[in-house]
Amino acid sequence: MSTAREQIFSSVRAALAPLPERTPRPVFSKDVAEPKWLAAETDSLALFQKRAEATGTKCFTDMDACASWLRTQAVRVVYIPAPLTHLVALCSEFCEVTSEYSRTRVNEIDAAFTPSAGAIAESGSIILSDESTPDRLAALAPWHHIALVSRAEIHRTIADALAAMPADPNLIWVTGPSKTADVEGILIQGVHGPGAQACLIL
Amino acid sequence: MAEQKVELFARRLDHGVQKAVHNNSAAGTEKRYNVLGTDYSAPDDLRRLAGQIRQHSIEYLDTYLEQAEQSLKRQGAHVHFAVTADDACRAVSDILQKAGAKKVVKSKSMISEEIHLNDHLGTMGIESVETDLGEYIIQIDGDHPSHIVKPIIHKNRRDIAKSFEREGLGDYNDDPETITRRARVFMRDKYLQADAGITGANFVSAESGRLVLVTNEGNSRFCLAAPKIHIALVGIEKVIPSDADLAVLLNLLGRSATGQQLTVYTEFINGPARTDRPSGPQEMHVIFVDNQRSEILASDCREILRCIRCGACLNVCPVYRQASGHAYRSVYPGPLGAVLSPLLAGKKFKELADLPKASSLCGACNEVCPVDIPIPDLLLKLRNRGHQEHAPSPGTPPMGAFAKLASSPMLWRFAMKSNKVMNLVPLEKLPLPYLQPWLKTRTLPTWRGGEFRSWMKSRHKK
Repeated sequence: MSTAREQIFSSVRAALAPLPERTPRPVFSKDVAEPKWLAAETDSLALFQKRAEATGTKCFTDMDACASWLRTQAVRVVYIPAPLTHLVALCSEFCEVTSEYSRTRVNEIDAAFTPSAGAIAESGSIILSDESTPDRLAALAPWHHIALVSRAEIHRTIADALAAMPADPNLIWVTGPSKTADVEGILIQGVHGPGAQACLIL
Repeated sequence: MAEQKVELFARRLDHGVQKAVHNNSAAGTEKRYNVLGTDYSAPDDLRRLAGQIRQHSIEYLDTYLEQAEQSLKRQGAHVHFAVTADDACRAVSDILQKAGAKKVVKSKSMISEEIHLNDHLGTMGIESVETDLGEYIIQIDGDHPSHIVKPIIHKNRRDIAKSFEREGLGDYNDDPETITRRARVFMRDKYLQADAGITGANFVSAESGRLVLVTNEGNSRFCLAAPKIHIALVGIEKVIPSDADLAVLLNLLGRSATGQQLTVYTEFINGPARTDRPSGPQEMHVIFVDNQRSEILASDCREILRCIRCGACLNVCPVYRQASGHAYRSVYPGPLGAVLSPLLAGKKFKELADLPKASSLCGACNEVCPVDIPIPDLLLKLRNRGHQEHAPSPGTPPMGAFAKLASSPMLWRFAMKSNKVMNLVPLEKLPLPYLQPWLKTRTLPTWRGGEFRSWMKSRHKK
């Protein structure tokens, strides 16, 4: 055990020892921070779509519509991990399709489909994990990122998603495209991550 | 006339900068107010709950810090402890040197500013690049952040365009979108070449060992995608009991900081990446930094350790809006900084003891604080401490003569009556330098001192 560790723990204990009483851990219900408008929303899928669109995430419910959108975006190389054969066929019509995400092609691959670990209706967030999304870079570096969200994996609330976090070294909630307002408070999308964030609900 | 340093800075501040800081801060306050009002019928109840969660966390820090350490280790992270800022810097460079790392990408972290990590890495011959757009501009300009969430609130697009031109990032172009795209291209290579990624942490859950990081740009995610080593610098006070507490804290953090329900990227890191994955750090280090925090915990200002660094108190503060962040001469500006910075200064407390005075005690900072920190009370406690320690106090008129006068009934009576002379003296000629600026634009009412006493006396006689 390092001395720094002991020193810090002994200072912390010494600081807390004179307290006549300590603040108890508050008891609160899981839904305490739910927005007041949430109760009226009964359909999680519809709510997710509404919230996602509000934060700038495009939602598609069929592959053809999603592929048509990509076609309008002048995409050159799209990464589609197997086994989405129908999607591969659709995209092959207008751009190169690769099932390998190679580091040497980070700047070339300008669109990527990756599976997700679900979504959150309350906030319109997409959940990515290392288990579901094998390459973190693939879901981040391309200008267009389309997460594949399974209908059955949409959590209704943020608290639900927190309670159901799988054991995974890295979970990330993606709520809209990458953005900044650092320059004069002006909102710009696509700083380091995707400038166009989308999801395909299957 | 002697003036407070913050006031002096504000007076000399460029008008354009002052206006930018004021408008951007005011916009932040309004966004926060609107989103909390739209989403919650009793946002203050939620703030108080969050305050209790954080107060509980720091008052049981002995328990939770140890639990966090064990949870992190269980997940395969290396845990280090650093007592001082220097220790923390050394811990980072030791890890990097051991791994032979020469290039580092950094995600925005206030604690790394606090310990001056970039300067240290520079002297060790390690290249460290700030990846948050604002922080990168601060870095190339050799500047300091003037806001904890919006580091370049004091710069305009022309300043930035000039800096980018100077750094060879293209010809002069002050279009914010072009500036952002150029940073994107430039950073790509930096991420891919970096040996390690350095981040802070917004929260650490003791129970699960999850480290929570929020960003809007996605830069922290990039720092944890390409490089093979992750180093997280974490103040010991960032620990919370469990993941369930995040439901309250995350909901308030985004709304208070930028008016967002959630920040774009909310990342939960639970150990090094799996070995069967092509991206993500295979090695994870967490450095818990004390740097005066245990001292603050022992003081009567421990509530400041609840702070979750949202910046709402900066945005709402009338003094911050006028003075901007650099006026506070420290890493943490605004009301939170006026409390935290002198405390973090440790033995150099006196040098920053003027900061708690740069406040009208209007209480707005407390009203917007997502963890309900009683900032005005803490400012008063620190003013008192400054007085006890005889910290220099420019701008405060000497009150010794008044104290003598007010403690002797005879002298007081005499003064009350004799001051009628004041009605005849031209005010601008008074030899009181402290009052001159005030009297320039104001007059005094006619002196009527002693009349109450006379009235009381005549009443008793009846």
